[in-house]
Amino acid sequence: MATILGGIGSSHVPTIGLAFDKGKHKDPAWAPLFKGYEPVAAWLAAQRPDVLIVFYNDHANSIFFDFYPTFALGVSPEFEVADEGAGKRPLPAIAGHPRMASHMAECLVNEEFDLTVFQDRALDHGFYSPLSLLWPHRPSWPGAVVPIEVNVLQYPLPTPMRCYKLGQAVRRAIESYPEDLRVVVVGTGGLSHQIHGERTGFNNTEWDLRFLELLEHRPDELARMRHVDYVRLGGAESVECIMWLAMRGALTERVRRLHQNYYLATTTAMTLVLYENDAAPAPRAAAMAADSGSVR
Amino acid sequence: MNAQLEGIQDIDGTYAFDILQSIKALRINRFFWNMRRPHFRELFAKDPEALMDREGLNEEEKTLVRARDWIGMIRYGVNFFVLEKFIRVVRLSNMDVYAAMRGETLEEFLRTRKVPDAR
Repeated sequence: MATILGGIGSSHVPTIGLAFDKGKHKDPAWAPLFKGYEPVAAWLAAQRPDVLIVFYNDHANSIFFDFYPTFALGVSPEFEVADEGAGKRPLPAIAGHPRMASHMAECLVNEEFDLTVFQDRALDHGFYSPLSLLWPHRPSWPGAVVPIEVNVLQYPLPTPMRCYKLGQAVRRAIESYPEDLRVVVVGTGGLSHQIHGERTGFNNTEWDLRFLELLEHRPDELARMRHVDYVRLGGAESVECIMWLAMRGALTERVRRLHQNYYLATTTAMTLVLYENDAAPAPRAAAMAADSGSVR
Repeated sequence: MNAQLEGIQDIDGTYAFDILQSIKALRINRFFWNMRRPHFRELFAKDPEALMDREGLNEEEKTLVRARDWIGMIRYGVNFFVLEKFIRVVRLSNMDVYAAMRGETLEEFLRTRKVPDAR
């Protein structure tokens, strides 16, 4: 049976990917961000998951408003990197997991989550921006992914509660998969930011920290909030935090927070969090001691 | 009214992109969306007027494009994420456009940021 080891929440700002490609790891303006990813990358290296389930959103690259799904699950054997107007990032394509994805689609639709299924659509920075900092990928990625796209662009969006429940259904789907696979669930986006209109540049650190507190201990409270609450508290585009709620829904009721990093530099509060499931199994390899220092 | 958005009209400087906006602005949004393709970018560089005609933009939309009227486009119903591709084509950074939408110069906007060098 497949097992969920834990969950990761990560911002997906495109400049994170650009800074990575330009090797700005030691640049004083970027170092606090890159250092923040090291413990989570080390945890993934030690846990060696076979599959990452990634809640992300497309930014009008592979999906356009003429045909717009609310939830869409990627089932391809492979996912290319999208050209977002300035050429593709120098990353290899990542493997999908068609058997697990098809099992998940069957479970989710049978549970009345009537999602769209897609093949052969490139993934954009909503997916690759955080992935490139979390998983080594030269010459190739160490595992496979099942991407789940969420409409956070065109209202009506799925409600926060629906995203939370989707996460719970995803957990049941993963745990009913017959093969012995190790799985980590990732939610991307956020935290506070607004990048359209005169209110562009809005941030709210107090709310961001409260959001993280609630996500860990009272996700049901976040699920009961409305989109307008997220817009008011965290800025219009921070409504995408509903994808973190989907990730949280896939975890156990109680989780152990192993790491958190918060860095607000320009317009987006770039945040990373790692939760381990309450009943997480022991790491595959014995040597995992080096990571224990990352607990904050 | 979408119950999830009740009260959004009281949040200044914010324009929820919903289905009616999406219908109204479909052509100009598709126009910018197409700019993720190199060939479309070449056509725009060569003759923007001809391309806007071919793609069926109306006069109001053409005026917004010609003037690079960023806040005007947002108010009209352009989605920021398609606009981002046009920002690349005219060789500006997102920061330039963020500043413009706030009615500020880039320098003024950067002064409001915690770490302006993280670009």
